[in-house]
Amino acid sequence: MSPTATTIDPITTEIIRNAFISAAEEMNATLIRSSYSPIIYEAKDCSVGLMDENKRVLGQSAGLPIFLGNLEICIELTEARFGPQVWAPGDVWLLNDSYMTGTHLGDVTVFAPIYWREQLVGFSASRAHWLDIGAKDLPAPTDSTEIYQEGIRLGPTRVMAGGVLRDDIVDILQRNSRFPALLVGDLHAQIAVARTGERRLGSILDRYGLDVVRGARDQIFAQSELLDRAAVAQIPDGVYEAEGCLDNDGVTDDPFWVRLRIEVDGDEMRVDLGESSDMARGAINCGEAQAVSACRVAFKRLVNPDRPVTGGTFVPLTVTVRKGSLLAAEEPAACQWYFSPLGLLIDLFTQALAPVLPQRVAAASYGDSMVSYISGLRDRNGELFVNIDCLVGGWGAWDGADGESSLINSVNGSIQDFPIEIVESRYPLRVRRYAVRNGSAGAGRWRGGCGTIREFEIESDDIWISLWYERSKTPAWGLFGGSAGAPPRVDVNPATPGARQLLKVNRLELHAGDVVVCRSGGGGGFGDPLERDPQLVAQDVAERFVTVDQAREQYGWNPEEGEIAVA
Amino acid sequence: MDIGGTFTDVVAYDERDGSYATGKTSTTPGDLTAGVLAGLEQVVGSAQDISFVVHGTTQGLNAFLQRRGERVLLLATAGAGDVYHIARGARSKLYDLHYRKPQPLVPRSDIAEISGRLDYRGQELEPLDEGDLRAAVAQAREAGITAFAIAFLFSYLNPAHELEAERIIRELHPEASISLSHRVAREWREYERTSSVVLNAYIAPTVERYLVRLQDSLDERGLSVPLHVMQSNGGILTAQAAREHPIQTLLSGPAGGTMGGAALSQTLGRPNLLCVDMGGTSFDMSLIVDGEPDTVQETELEGLPLLMPIVKIHTIGAGGGSMAYVEAGGLRVGPESAGAQPGPACYGRGGTRPTVTDANLVLGRIDPAYFLGGKMELDVAAAEAAIASLAAELSIEPVALAEGILDVVNAKMAQAIRTITVEKGIAPSDFAIVAFGGAGAMHAAFLAQELEIPEVIVPVFPGAFSAWGMLHTKLRHDFTTPYYKPVADVDVAEITARLEELAQEGRSALLADGVPPAGIASSWLVDMRYVAQEYSLPVPVGAGELEDPAFATILSDRFHRVYDQRYGHANASAPVEFVSLRATVHGDLGRAEARRSPRVDGEAPTAASREVVFQRTAQQAQVVVRDRLNAGSTVTGPAIIEEPTATTVVPPGWTAAVDELGVIVLRATS
Repeated sequence: MSPTATTIDPITTEIIRNAFISAAEEMNATLIRSSYSPIIYEAKDCSVGLMDENKRVLGQSAGLPIFLGNLEICIELTEARFGPQVWAPGDVWLLNDSYMTGTHLGDVTVFAPIYWREQLVGFSASRAHWLDIGAKDLPAPTDSTEIYQEGIRLGPTRVMAGGVLRDDIVDILQRNSRFPALLVGDLHAQIAVARTGERRLGSILDRYGLDVVRGARDQIFAQSELLDRAAVAQIPDGVYEAEGCLDNDGVTDDPFWVRLRIEVDGDEMRVDLGESSDMARGAINCGEAQAVSACRVAFKRLVNPDRPVTGGTFVPLTVTVRKGSLLAAEEPAACQWYFSPLGLLIDLFTQALAPVLPQRVAAASYGDSMVSYISGLRDRNGELFVNIDCLVGGWGAWDGADGESSLINSVNGSIQDFPIEIVESRYPLRVRRYAVRNGSAGAGRWRGGCGTIREFEIESDDIWISLWYERSKTPAWGLFGGSAGAPPRVDVNPATPGARQLLKVNRLELHAGDVVVCRSGGGGGFGDPLERDPQLVAQDVAERFVTVDQAREQYGWNPEEGEIAVA
Repeated sequence: MDIGGTFTDVVAYDERDGSYATGKTSTTPGDLTAGVLAGLEQVVGSAQDISFVVHGTTQGLNAFLQRRGERVLLLATAGAGDVYHIARGARSKLYDLHYRKPQPLVPRSDIAEISGRLDYRGQELEPLDEGDLRAAVAQAREAGITAFAIAFLFSYLNPAHELEAERIIRELHPEASISLSHRVAREWREYERTSSVVLNAYIAPTVERYLVRLQDSLDERGLSVPLHVMQSNGGILTAQAAREHPIQTLLSGPAGGTMGGAALSQTLGRPNLLCVDMGGTSFDMSLIVDGEPDTVQETELEGLPLLMPIVKIHTIGAGGGSMAYVEAGGLRVGPESAGAQPGPACYGRGGTRPTVTDANLVLGRIDPAYFLGGKMELDVAAAEAAIASLAAELSIEPVALAEGILDVVNAKMAQAIRTITVEKGIAPSDFAIVAFGGAGAMHAAFLAQELEIPEVIVPVFPGAFSAWGMLHTKLRHDFTTPYYKPVADVDVAEITARLEELAQEGRSALLADGVPPAGIASSWLVDMRYVAQEYSLPVPVGAGELEDPAFATILSDRFHRVYDQRYGHANASAPVEFVSLRATVHGDLGRAEARRSPRVDGEAPTAASREVVFQRTAQQAQVVVRDRLNAGSTVTGPAIIEEPTATTVVPPGWTAAVDELGVIVLRATS
């Protein structure tokens, strides 16, 4: 592949390796610094990558774990569609088609070819969540059944040609958004990222020349591949399987199955997702690219999690999907909640390998983003608003430690909850309770983490709530004798005549004085609860993570025996 | 006086002749007082001769890092007691299946929920429940807890409930140590404010006991002036005031180095400096922009957030102890450090992996007989063996590997600098580097080359620069008050009164500290943001501007500019709002200027010469002793300038010049 036959010295290779990582970090810093939407600069719902001319990763910086290693596919699919002669200097492309990118339409990928001395030497790319691209409901529907309800859909589109922004394309984008100014701001930020990548790769090439950089690149890829292969080789050969279901697709009440079969063969791992359910009518479908990404996230959690991603990472991993299934959706499947099967897939991947990697795995986590959108006509300043809330939950225990309580889920990364003081200052809402959900952890020698409770009181009329709560039929399972965590639960006006329990709903109208109590699930336990150190059980009771009844029933705890040392 | 992990440094300034003296003793863990007093005795004959003393202490930081602070009872608003443990639900590692949040300082069983609620305007919805408070105090008594942290929702708008709780606890428990969130951090975001007040309560008794003990020991020795303490915000406080705000002393040591940079910036007339401190395990970077240290209003310590103004210091794991090793056939350098045990191979304590220090030694850049001023002999053979063994594994020449290790670590440091400057929207080439710490000046010229920075400044006493910096720092107090209002609705009379009130509070504090009125200066900042944004940016306000009828426009325009600088874009048509008002007062105790030496221009006398490797080739480099340099001396590279606590490497193509203050300035000639 590379014209360089000679070996580059290890010092130059290491300096170039660090330079690629640093280039990706600088691209990321550019995006965070110049984006307009808090969902990008605060929640880091984004990812950047620098690729070589073969679309292999030189450096990547992910804000959202689930965007791991799937920017390159966007460039490959564009070339597959228009041919290799499509690239030209100064061009910038964008793409959000769910079946190509794998994700929902709000995630827009912007990429550009990089030229150095008139030669195509690589690509830069970024993906970021745009707040609104014209879905039928703001910010997104929970009941869509076709992709056309989820926003404007764009195949590979040249938004900048020869260095000039195409006003006609930008006009189409703006006309399809409720927040056109934000959209253009975020587009410019992503174009700035492309320029940063071009400049940094250019300066590395200026300094070392193309042959040396390509030689170093080959070494870097070989190192990553070697590390991954060595780690996979340590996993015993065999076939490992797991399956689990989503509650429903938001429009019917049928469960949908995610099934995976992992074959470990020497230093290679093959994952087959083909037995998973067919595409759903509701919006839980996922494009193939993101299903592959989710497998990479699951793989990365067990194989060299601290090592940077390069074009050599994931080489030992192959993923097979079945077209037309939930995990390789095709037109016109709705994809808004594409990540729900993926969170489940990631936990199942870990479960499948648990028998052979007992030290490295963990029991399942609460599993999904647990989203509530509370929107209304008048915030405290009288403006249209939407409060997006992702309720954090409990993670699974592992050999040697309890799972963490109230922690963001696996497909999300840097998202933080909204402080009560900010929510109440902006929106006509009162947060009456924000608490660890005591007693929601799965029992075990090591117990799961607890879920969370967030209780809202609505302070005005003209308010609507949409909910997307998942994993009540497959709550976080335990491992090696540990039990499952509690499932999620949402109550509207509990203990009143109009009390309702529901997990998914699209735009339910609320009125002043209404109360919504959201509960996220706990994490699974690890090992037999009867083997738990009684001191730890006593401490759990003192700290209220475990109720007294649970301590007696699940752990055989007997406070009269006197070994309680209440801290 | 600056207490580091290994050494306590003392720098003394003699007001009679403008000269400096330094002392260095081993830090005495446990009771830091002993090391401090020993160091002091090295430089001043009698404590009675001291007219000013400032101290950077790690006492609070150690208590935190070793989790040996006070047991604290946290009082929180009913319904929100778990906010501290939920910690905003955030996860800092993307692929860690075994992730744990930063360990909180208070277990859930030591948190008491207290009924009583304010709304988003600070108005009372429900009165404070005295019964809940009494129960909490009883709980504390039973458990033997005497430290209380109180963090109620919306107390930054209306502190009434926190103050009432303080009064009731005081009544019931007169000896309690009580920290209130609105006093520690008067800003919104309940988790961050709670974390700040808990940390304050956690270290307060330890810091208090230490400062009392040190002050007593100094008093016994005849000290007749107040003890001052360095703060993380780049100012100093009297020890008395520090006992009321112990959290402000947390990161005082590193801040001293940056303040040294700020003092140099003024003396040398260079507004933009990049301060780099390279020690054994880490590389710390901070910025002086337009003569002012780069400060932020918020930081994190081991993942726990702190809302307080602090000199911004970025750290990466690159230092003299960073180890080189092979992974998957490739060379890696750091961030793992050999530490002090076993330390670099050349320490002769059994380390076999080559480190950055070993590479510097093998290349001739460190004199094995003059390390730490000759206090520690280095084992060159051990360093050579460690390098040779790794070189064989990689099939390259040992000399190439040794220089390569430095190339890699220099490239990493340069990249880290580039990233922090990009985040701030500034270019490194507009800065000069100030290099300090034991290894800073050994690497600085190479960093400058990577970053196209034309100048490197090596201050006097680079090994004790933090202590030197503290000596040049003014007293400082910060005051904040929330002020929520759209800029369009600004009431200039009101804002003037509020700012003036804050400044007056500051002036009174400084007068109480003994600062003469002529030495007091105050400045104002207002935190502003686009309406509906979460985070704000501080915008300076000039005193005369308050009378300007165009005040609102001036401030909005300035906010758009500051915003553009920080984020690369601004929206001139979007509405802007005020969030809070800040006053900072500085007190100058009026110390004399450093002595300037007469210039004696010419090449410096060479003490010796030795072979030093540059560009893979051994070259004859002159070795110069810093003490023998005069103002006006120049040194042409390749050269090594040695002094007891640091080594400066002047590479080929660079020259070093000494100015009247003894500062060395390196410049690239080619």
